[in-house]
This record gives sequence, C-alpha cells and structure tokens, in this order.
Amino acid sequence: MTGTLQAHALRVRLGRRDVLDGVSLQVGTGWTALVGPNGAGKSTLLRALAGLQPLAAGRVSLGGLGLPRPVERARRLAWLAQQGEATGELTVRETVELGRIAQLGLLGTPGPADRRAVDDAMALTACDAWQDRRLHELSGGERQRVLLARVLATAAPLLLLDEPTTHLDAPHQVALARLFRRLAHEPAQPRAVLTVLHDLPIALQADRLLVLERGRLRADGAPADPAVQAELVRVFEGAIRIDNGAAGAPRVALALDSPPAP
Amino acid sequence: MSAASPAAAVPDADADANARRRRRLVGWMALVLVAGIAAGLATGAAGFSPRAFWADLHAADAALILGQIRAPRTLGAALVGALLGLSGAISQGLFRNPLADPYLLGSAAGAGLGVVLVLAAASLGGAYISLATVVWIERLGVVAAAFVGALTGVAMTLSLSRGAVHTLRLLLAGVVTGVLLGAVSDLITVASPDALRGKQAFMLGSTSFLGWDALALMAAGLAVLALLVQRYARALDALTLGEDSAASLGLDLGRVRLVLVLALSLGTALAVSQSGPVAFVGLVAPHLVRRNAPGLHGWLLLASAGMGAALLLVADVLSRALIAPQELPVGVVTAVLGGGYLFWLLRQRTAP
Amino acid sequence: MTPTSRHRRALLRLLGAAALAAAALAASPAFAQPIVVRDDRGTEHRFASPPQRIVTMLPSLTETAWVLGVGSRLVGVDRFSDWPAEVAALPHLGGLEDAQIEAIAALRPDLILASTSSRAMERLEVLGFTVVRLKSESHADVQRTVKLVARVLGTPERGALLWQRIENQIDAAAARVPPDLRGRSVYFEIGGGPYAAGTASFVGETLARLGMKNIVPAALGPFPKLNPEFVVRARPDIIMGLRREQAALAARPGWDSLAAVREQRLCGFETTPYEMLTRPGPRMGEAAALLADCLARLGTAGHR
Repeated sequence: MTGTLQAHALRVRLGRRDVLDGVSLQVGTGWTALVGPNGAGKSTLLRALAGLQPLAAGRVSLGGLGLPRPVERARRLAWLAQQGEATGELTVRETVELGRIAQLGLLGTPGPADRRAVDDAMALTACDAWQDRRLHELSGGERQRVLLARVLATAAPLLLLDEPTTHLDAPHQVALARLFRRLAHEPAQPRAVLTVLHDLPIALQADRLLVLERGRLRADGAPADPAVQAELVRVFEGAIRIDNGAAGAPRVALALDSPPAP
Repeated sequence: MSAASPAAAVPDADADANARRRRRLVGWMALVLVAGIAAGLATGAAGFSPRAFWADLHAADAALILGQIRAPRTLGAALVGALLGLSGAISQGLFRNPLADPYLLGSAAGAGLGVVLVLAAASLGGAYISLATVVWIERLGVVAAAFVGALTGVAMTLSLSRGAVHTLRLLLAGVVTGVLLGAVSDLITVASPDALRGKQAFMLGSTSFLGWDALALMAAGLAVLALLVQRYARALDALTLGEDSAASLGLDLGRVRLVLVLALSLGTALAVSQSGPVAFVGLVAPHLVRRNAPGLHGWLLLASAGMGAALLLVADVLSRALIAPQELPVGVVTAVLGGGYLFWLLRQRTAP
Repeated sequence: MTPTSRHRRALLRLLGAAALAAAALAASPAFAQPIVVRDDRGTEHRFASPPQRIVTMLPSLTETAWVLGVGSRLVGVDRFSDWPAEVAALPHLGGLEDAQIEAIAALRPDLILASTSSRAMERLEVLGFTVVRLKSESHADVQRTVKLVARVLGTPERGALLWQRIENQIDAAAARVPPDLRGRSVYFEIGGGPYAAGTASFVGETLARLGMKNIVPAALGPFPKLNPEFVVRARPDIIMGLRREQAALAARPGWDSLAAVREQRLCGFETTPYEMLTRPGPRMGEAAALLADCLARLGTAGHR
C-alpha cells in the first residue's frame, strides 16, 4: 500500500526569498525524476515532501490524509540526503542496519526479516563485499551507495532520493538507473521513486519528469513529451539539445556548438 | 551491480578485527582499573609506597586511614571518571562533535557559582543576604550547592535555547550561560575574597573528600544513567547520519535530545558536585575509545565510562604520588595529560 | 546540756563533715566538670579532659595555642603557620581548602582548630574528628577566640591573662604615638589588589586604638578592593604596607601628587613583621607596638 503523496500549493520561505512558490504535484508508483537548474528549489521540495521542511503555506498529504506522525511516516517514506553528513565511524553493515529503525524503533530487537532486508539492500547496491569496512575508509561513490542501501533497508514503499548518483562513475550510474526502474515496476511491490537529479541523461530514462525553475513547477510529464522537452531546454537556457532518437529514450547532449537561446 | 545474489560468505576478517579490538580495549581497561585501585590504596601521605601500605595495613588505625579515607577516594575517582566519560560520550554523540565535553551546557559554571555562594554566604550575610538565608545556605553544604548549581546552569541553558529543539542554539545558549554564571561568580568573589580561594580549589578538582556515602550516590546514579542511555543508544547511532536523516527514520529528535541532555546533565552534576569540574576526562575518554575500538553507541557509551574511570584513577594516583605528602589538584594532572595527548594528536595529523 | 543543744551540735558536726567531704570531692580531679564550649558555628563540643593532640589549621590559631602554653601538644599545623620557629618542625598539613585528610587522620588529633566552613573540615567531622570553628576578624573575635581556646585547653585563666596582656600592649603602644600625629588619616594597604584594611577590620581597630583615622570608612567593609582614585582623593597623611610594594607607589599614576608619597611619610614593613600585622591573633599587641614605632619614627623625622 503506497498511497499517493500529494503536495498542495506548497510555499517555503527562506530569508526573504520564496524558495518554493505554489508547487502542487502528485507522486504515485513509478520512477519520477525532478530536474531543474541550480537554485530551483529541488532539494527543498524533496525535504518538504518528506516532512522535514517547515511550510509557509500549503500542505503535504499521503494517501489523502495529512502526513502521519514521524514514527508512522518513517515506515511509509524514506529520504536520502543530498550530501552525506554521516560521520563515517560506523561500518557499512551497521550503517545500513540503521535503516531498520524505521520498522523497529529504538528498542525493537532485530529478527531474521530485518537481517534479510539489510542483506538485500546491500546486494542491490553491491556493497555487501565491504560489510565490515568503516564508512570513512570508502570513496565518495562507495559511501553514497551505502547510504542508498540504508534507505532501501527501510523497506518503505515511497523513496525520496536527493541526487543519489552524484559521485558515481558511469557503470554504477547505469546500474542505479536500472535499479530505480526495477523498484518502480516490481510486480509484487511497485514503489514510488522520486529522485532529484542533475544528470539529465539519467533523468530522461525515468517514467516521468518534473521540471522545476525558481520555485515553480514548469513541466510535468513523460520525457518523450515534446512540451516537457521544450520546457526543459528553456529552463536550461538552450545549453542542452534533446534528440528523440530512433528507438529507446530521448537522448540529451550539451549544445556546445549552437548559439544560446535568447 | 549484476550480482544480485545475497551476501556471499566473505571472509569476516574485518568483523573479527573489530571484535578483537574491542576485546583488547576491555582487557586494557580492566588491567588499568585493577592496577590503579591497587596503586591508589598504596599511595598515601608517603607517596606510592607498597612498604608503607603494608605497615598501614597492620597499624591500629588501618580501618580509618585505609578504610574510610583511601579506599573510598580511590574508588570514588573511578566512579567520577566513569560518570564524566559517559556524559562526554553522550555529548559528543548528541552534538556530533568529537570535541564536545560534558561542561558545554553550563554545568561547570553553575556548580562553581553554587560553591562560591556557600563559601561567601558568611561574609555576605547581613550586608547582601539575610542571615536566615546564610544559615540555610551553610546547612546546604558545598556538595549539594554544587549539584543544584550544575542543574540550574543546564536549566538556564535549556530555557535560553527554548528547549532542545535546535542543537546549534543549545550550544550557543550553553556558552552564554557559562559566561554569565562565571561573571556572577566572579562578582561574588570580589565582595568576598575568601571565597576566591575556596572556589579555585574547587574548580581545580580533587578527590580528597570522597567518602562511602558519596560513592553509593555516584554508583547508583551511574547505574541508572547507564541503563537509561542504553535505550537511546540507537538514536545516537542514527544521529551520525545527520539530523534530518535521523528524523526521517521516525525519531522524535526533540524528545531524544531532551532526554539525553537531562541524562548528561545529571551525570555531570553528580560528578562535579563531588569532585569539582575535572578537566578533559569527559573529552578524552570517548575519544580514546573511538580511536582504538570504534563501534555503535551501545558499546561506545559503556566503554567511555570504563575508559573515563581508568583515566581518572591513574590521574588521581599521580596527583597523590608526585609531590607527596602534598597533593596536586587532580584537574591539573588531567589537564596536562589530556592537553598533552590532544597536542600530540594534532601534530600527528598535520605532520606531512 | 539540753536535748536540743545536743541535737544541734550533732547536726553541726554532720554539716561540717558533709562540707569537708564536698570540698574534697570538688577538688578531686575524678569529678572535674567536662569542658563544654560552643564554637562560632553554633556547634557544642564536650571534652571530658583537655585535648592532648591538637591540629591547628590557621596561623593565628597556631600562635594562640602556642602563647597559651600548649605548644607541646601541637601535632600538626597548616602550611601558612610560621611562628614561632619551633612549628617548622611540625608536619604541615595544607591549607583550609586542600587539607591533607589522610595525614591529619594519621596524627589522631583529639582537637582540630579551624576557621570558617570548608569542605575539608566537613569531611574531617564526618570521619569523627572534633573540629572547633572560630572566626577571627575583629578584636572582639580575637578576645572571644583566645578565651574559648584557653577554656578548651583546660586553662581558662590564661585566656583572660593573655587578652589583658594584649590590651596592655595596645595601650602602651597608643601612649607612644606622637601627639601631633594623632588624628591623622592612614591608608593601610594589603598586598595584591590593592585591598585596603578598613575601619571595620582588626587592623583598622588597632589603628583606631592608636588614635589614627582610617581613610576607609566602616561602611565599605573590612577589606575592600578600592579604586585607586578613592585613595588619591582621600589624601591619606600616612601610607602603610609592604616595603617592597611601597617602592613602586610613586610610579602609580597620580600617586606622586600625594603628600604622603612625596614626603615619604610611609610605613613599609618587611614580609615577616607584615605577616604579624595582618594576623588577628595573640601578637596583636606586638603588632600595635610595631605600628607605634613607625609612627614615632615619622613623628621625629619632622614634617609639615
């Protein structure tokens, strides 16, 4: 049971700026990518959806009701921070196990189901080989995969991931993209995966694109949708070019040789 | 990530190494504790002298000298160290800062003010405070006044920061409280210079006055606090991910912070009221544990208590033995050792 | 003899015998009264017999015990006690705040003389030792202390004698003060501050007995830390203090405007006599004599 995550006219004010200005959207199962230029408010929107950001106006609801209390909320949605603030002293396994707090709380005793969830999460992100290494011994990309595994271990059906692919090399980025797609369409338990991405090539692989610019939602639709693509090119000031190639998803390239749009 | 198979049976070399390091640390701490207690019993007015100890053991007043004075202060040093180590580990986990110490929230300044009030009460009486208040304060005694003062300092910090909602605000409020209470304390010592000597003696720390009743109190406090904070150990682990990530796991951060702040304040107040604010133990004990045998807070909290006990025990024996029959204030010894350790650590890190 | 007069004589003989017996009993040491004193903290102490092993934790109390003739019963003193020279041989047991509990306990004292409350003294009381707390800040305090200590030591008459002697010494010193110096204002500086000995302190009381005025009124308390401006404005006629600190008086800003500094109307004392001056103990009489000597010297040196 996922329940649809809905945002109604969200407004977030930081200092004197409206970082989010009247954003309304709906997130269901499937892989949704949230893109936009720097400072568009993507991370803020994700935090607001996760219930971590105080709102100046509007509200977030889950399954038609307001966001539940944190304990219940943690079972239904999981959030991955953009910058890993982890202090890094725990081992990989211990870090991933933290995800089970969403189900066990502070005092619950872990059982075989929990161990299995942790093992599966580490296998999905291919970090099981370094279970007992400490986080600070890993590279940036490896650490990121561990933190993603932590989120997967919560077994929450709704995943809000802020730039999960930033430090990863190409093979791992591809692998993650495949993982998101798989999770989103798993027949037994389809998830809602909402990822903030800077990587446009990966973003265009998603089922749905949300384009955010200066706190406002400019486009919402399939990556193949020409309207969505036009809006994307516009918000990136013509610095990109989208190619609806033969088969497969649209391809994006940097427009180095053509003059920037007016 | 093509291998979707569950975790294969990889050699648990690292897991074994971690467990081994923990066992080794426990072994070392146990050794130091036993040796420290033995050395403490053998260190008296003649310095560290097993021969004098043997003579004392057979003397007529052995029950008094060894039983009532030396034994409780030696064990007391270990208990004070354990309380400070535990509180230090809590504050370092709570503030996510390896340099946090348990005095950050104003408990040391509050305790100092309490002590100064008791010492200055007699001379302030009549002029600044009523004589009835003087009698009441003097009956309270230095220990109770220091305890109440420490808790008052933390209460002031909490009220300044409007609860334990924002960690940064809490830290700033703690600094402000420390400065303010220190200033009031200094004002009182201007009006009553006699209190200055007593305050300085208190602030440098000493185990000279620990008796069996103090020990019972501290042991009970340590047991209660250790049991309580073990229930929040997982919360401290989650906090290592970052505050928002911890919140997203369903933790009620406000309540977690409040409980942990209260626990660390009680532990600090108990220790400080008995022996004064001894420097560096609360800072260095968890640090040493994390360097040699890091792990989850379920291990870290208790190990820091053990490490704190060992550290203060050694410092106390040194403070009694170095210039016998005189004593160094134990806080001076811990400051020299602790400061020296951090200095060395820094040079190691910045060395090319 | 009539039957009544025979009865009366028998009665008288009986009474006489009873009186003799009572006198004998009263004189017998086995029935000596226990010594009961109430110290300055309000605690009552009972001594079945005068204490034989005494520890003193304040220099003035050390001196008091010595002058009262029980120096042989002292088993330990505090670190600051340095008079008379004989106490140097005794174990020094720290100060009031950092007394060496174990060392004191090992000496098995049956009396510990101390001043105001301190954690160390509380601990010693908990361990079962008798701690008599005495405040010594004014002449009245010293008188009371001297008499109380004498009573505790079993020689109450010596206390009164000692106090009488101190009084006589102060009177004699007052007589030696040159008449034209009487009524002049004095500033007595206590080192490291500068703190002043005001009218309300025992030093101030001694100076008052010598007929001198004090620039620090009683309202400011016994040992206030003054703004140097106050001293300059008060224009004291005579400045007293440690000799080594008086050398630098002229260097203090504005102080060379003081006539006392320019004309060297200074009483500078070496450390040892200075310590005697600043101890409220049995040597207050000699302290007064020291002050009178300096005043006499200033008087004969001639001035305005």
